[in-house]
Amino acid sequence: MARATSQLYLDGVSVSFDGFKALNELSLTIDPGEMRAIIGPNGAGKTTMMDVITGKTRPDTGEVFFNGTIDLTGEDEAAIAELGIGRKFQKPTVFESHTVWDNLELALKAPRGPFATLFHSITDAEAARIGALLETIRLSSKRDELAANLSHGQKQWLEIGMLLAQDPKLLLVDEPAAGMTDAETAETAELLKEIAMDHCVVVVEHDMDFVRALGVKVTVLHEGSVLAEGSLDHVSADERVVEVYLGR
Amino acid sequence: MSSFLFRALDARAGIFVALMALVIVLVPAGNLLVPESSPFHVPTYAVTLMGKYLTYALLALAVDLVWGYCGILSLGHAAFFALGGYAMGMYLMRQIGTRGVYGDPILPDFMVFLNWQELPWYWYGFDMFWFAALMVLLVPGLLAFIFGWFAFRSRVTGVYLSIITQALTYALLLAFFRNDMGFGGNNGLTDFKDILGFDIQADTTRAGLFAASGLALVLCFLICRSITRSKLGKVLVAVRDAESRTRFLGYRVEHYKLFVWTLSAMMAGIAGALYVPQVGIINPGEFAPANSIEVVIWVAVGGRGTLVGAVLGAVLVNFAKTWFTAALPEFWLFALGGPVRLRHTLPAQGHSGPYRERPIDVWQQIGLRPG
Amino acid sequence: MSLLKPLLILFSLLLVGVLPAAAQSDPEALRPLINNLADGNYDETQRQIEEIAATGNAAAAPALEALGEGDLYFRKSDGMVFIAVREGKIYQLTDPLTLEAAGEAGRRDVKKIRVNNRLRRVIRSALGSLTLMAPDPGVRMAAAEAIFTARDPDGIEALDIALDAETDDNVRRVMQQARAAAVLNSDLGPEEKITAVGTLSDMGNRQALSLLLSVQSTLDPDVQAAAADAISKIEQSIAAWDAAQNIWFGISLGSVLLLAAIGLAITFGVMGVINMAHGEMVMIGAYVTFVVQEIIRTSAPGLFEVSLFIALPLAFLTSGLIGVAIERGVIRWLYGRPLETLLATWGISLILQQAVRTIFGPTNQEVGNPDWMSGAFELGQMTITYNRMWIVVFALLVFAGLMLVLKKTPFGLYTRAVTQNRRMAASMGIRTPWIDALTFGLGSGIAGIAGVALSQIDNVSPNLGQSYIIDSFMVVVFGGVGNLWGTLVGAMTLGVVNKFLEPYAGAVLGKIFVLVFIILFIQKRPRGLFALKGRAVEA
Repeated sequence: MARATSQLYLDGVSVSFDGFKALNELSLTIDPGEMRAIIGPNGAGKTTMMDVITGKTRPDTGEVFFNGTIDLTGEDEAAIAELGIGRKFQKPTVFESHTVWDNLELALKAPRGPFATLFHSITDAEAARIGALLETIRLSSKRDELAANLSHGQKQWLEIGMLLAQDPKLLLVDEPAAGMTDAETAETAELLKEIAMDHCVVVVEHDMDFVRALGVKVTVLHEGSVLAEGSLDHVSADERVVEVYLGR
Repeated sequence: MSSFLFRALDARAGIFVALMALVIVLVPAGNLLVPESSPFHVPTYAVTLMGKYLTYALLALAVDLVWGYCGILSLGHAAFFALGGYAMGMYLMRQIGTRGVYGDPILPDFMVFLNWQELPWYWYGFDMFWFAALMVLLVPGLLAFIFGWFAFRSRVTGVYLSIITQALTYALLLAFFRNDMGFGGNNGLTDFKDILGFDIQADTTRAGLFAASGLALVLCFLICRSITRSKLGKVLVAVRDAESRTRFLGYRVEHYKLFVWTLSAMMAGIAGALYVPQVGIINPGEFAPANSIEVVIWVAVGGRGTLVGAVLGAVLVNFAKTWFTAALPEFWLFALGGPVRLRHTLPAQGHSGPYRERPIDVWQQIGLRPG
Repeated sequence: MSLLKPLLILFSLLLVGVLPAAAQSDPEALRPLINNLADGNYDETQRQIEEIAATGNAAAAPALEALGEGDLYFRKSDGMVFIAVREGKIYQLTDPLTLEAAGEAGRRDVKKIRVNNRLRRVIRSALGSLTLMAPDPGVRMAAAEAIFTARDPDGIEALDIALDAETDDNVRRVMQQARAAAVLNSDLGPEEKITAVGTLSDMGNRQALSLLLSVQSTLDPDVQAAAADAISKIEQSIAAWDAAQNIWFGISLGSVLLLAAIGLAITFGVMGVINMAHGEMVMIGAYVTFVVQEIIRTSAPGLFEVSLFIALPLAFLTSGLIGVAIERGVIRWLYGRPLETLLATWGISLILQQAVRTIFGPTNQEVGNPDWMSGAFELGQMTITYNRMWIVVFALLVFAGLMLVLKKTPFGLYTRAVTQNRRMAASMGIRTPWIDALTFGLGSGIAGIAGVALSQIDNVSPNLGQSYIIDSFMVVVFGGVGNLWGTLVGAMTLGVVNKFLEPYAGAVLGKIFVLVFIILFIQKRPRGLFALKGRAVEA
């Protein structure tokens, strides 16, 4: 494993809650610019893995490195976000009492300290950037709507937009297609592929059609460790994967 | 910087500031310039009473800043209020000089009574107004900073935080009741004579204190307003609505909370400092946990997260309280309890779903602002 | 001296009053012997005293006491003997045997029976043997204790005789201790004294310690060394008992906290409702006790002893029903909105307080302790009051009962189901609104029965609840929300910590330290001692 050249490097990571092993010696490497899909049945540890990477949960053992050199296990959420790791949650979480525009403004890459924000005035460059993002996530017409009034799919997109506004090096995207119509799902896949052109992206998803539409390398998690890795066709041919998904 | 200050002034804030300016001018004028026989004369007791309401309004404003905009429900803000009040009270005690019952030039009466020989070190400097004024800001601010630094860093949130803020004010209540704390114990500080050389009982002084309270309220209102309308204000609301999301965006939530929390405590301290010379006493009763809850009620009645609502709520509830305790003393507690209950018995959205607190906007409700 | 006399008379009264068995032989039989004291010189008086002592009749003790103090007089007109106390120009007479008032007499109508130092000694030893040989063990015990306090070497002889005859082990022990005390104060040789030090060292309490400390300097070097050893041994034993006493006080305070908090552990801990009116439920329980006792007092005084057992179910029902009403009327609209709940229940608490104040008045109400709740007993060197002990027992019973209800009954199962996953429980056919109401009622009802217990140790006033609400929240938060065991451990820990801080910091400062400690503790473990971990926390 080449830690030095990786974008994200997990080695031997274990997390347990009251005896239950959510992650068990998980090892995973994501290369710079790569897009990776992670699948696995319920309780496979997908969300816990994201929690560990983003600093929400501390691993009991194991190493987590970003950019090959930065140890993430000692940092908190804000510091990790500042390093350039963005996260989209399983359930869309946007700031509902803010407008779409304000949501993006908050996410926009800028100094994050209280005094910096207190005296901050929006610049033309920032406004232009937000306008561009609104185009990308197809919400230009909703820019002054409260986020609470968006549809489920629109919230998902807004959240992806916020992720982009952060301009992260690595995007962690948890079930972006959950609760979407087929058309929306297809559009979301297109959007993610667009993003993946200049970002490193990790997508957790249940929907096989969606994963197929992404057409990238797939990692199968089971009981907290990697069960199989490869193209979707390769892993779906794997006996153990079939067993895990269809029951034994 | 200039944009920061101008941000506060839009039409709505302008109306509020203009109205307040009118009050600050007219009430003292009505007291000092209009002859007593005139129906427009404002009696001195009314000036003092309204001055007291204004300090309450400032306290409510402070609570609204942390609760309405940042989701920190403080049930201990009366502690900061009382600390500011004690700092001012200590200055006023030192001003008594030899006019006390025991005539000691340095020691306040209660210390002579307790047979203390020397002024405790923490009473040094309070004979100077500038020092006392500094302490009015520093003491509540420092306590809030230390408390907040611990609490926010370890992510104590929601009702846990509310409960420990209650414990904080309760602990201070117990502490200030002790005679050997050196703050007058049970009786607190009272029998003040003058402030900055003016007789504290004089009509002109009272009018001056009223105007000072009004000015402090307007100033703090403008500060709060420019904060809530800045990007920082947006971050605060983001923290209120989805704290962990804000963290994942890279904001250090604890720094933001600590900033408004400390600022809010300082405002509460100012309110307390203006309150004490007007009512003429400060005692440990001001730390009572129920007082802090009452402030939250004012804010809730006026509309949380609206600033103007907090001011209005504080004035209305206290006006009602004064009226009720005079007219139906038995029923004041019923009256205070009743609206709180009624207000909150409106059906909720249902049991499920994430809990989202929206500001209760009275202005919208009574049609002053389009929805 | 003038203060001592009434005390001595009181002491004598106790001797006779407490123990009617002491008058096993007729006190009147002593009358002629007592009246004889009026005649004769010192020698005859001595003989008469010895005669009285020979009867072994403890009823003579007050008369002899009075004689020794110079309070025994005889009436010139008929030669009758009385205990007399001078009041201005007249004497108040008391019958020396029955100890009833016997009228008064002028200054010239009575004459004092005079005693000298020799006689006083005779009287003391007569008194000693009289009471040390008394048939009632209580009297003998008291006599021995009196000698222990006086450390009178003249008592040794009487004690030796009494020890030979003594059958009761407890009395025997006290007599030996009294003898040891007397020996240390006597001219006996060092060996005797070292044995005496040994006896006192076994005694191991404060009395023995102060005795040893006071005589230490007067002893021979050998004995002094033994005494020093004994002193350090006793000091250790006292420290251990002090710690035990503190732990007991702590447990006692802890069980009060537990009682106050356990209902809240249900409404707040299990259901997540911030019930600021919880304290008022406790207060209502206490007022139910008051009402029950009032009714008993006026209509069935015989039931007073069981008044608490009548009050318990009534308090449970009253507070429980009010709780159900609050849940149905207010709280059910506010699930998931903790801050509004807090304010609404605070409003309710004000209303309840004011209602009680309007009905019963703002002052403290008198709630009586039944006999079995009053008094105290000794355990080693600890004093345990019955009311505290029963409250500890009661708190643990309530805790155990609540555990049983929640873990073993269908209702408990439903409650846990609803609090863990409301929608799932509803789709399983559980009527979740009713479970909510009943659970809240259960929590409130338990607060009510806590009120019955607290009425026994606290002032029953409309403010009763307020003084417990913050403590209750502290206990629940400290122990870990949603965990009843946490509440138990939390309450006991806080109780014991509080009591151990008190001697060093005083009650108020101790309490402040505990509050600060909890505030800091919550920083460290925001979810309490027994926190739920893992993914469930975020749900």
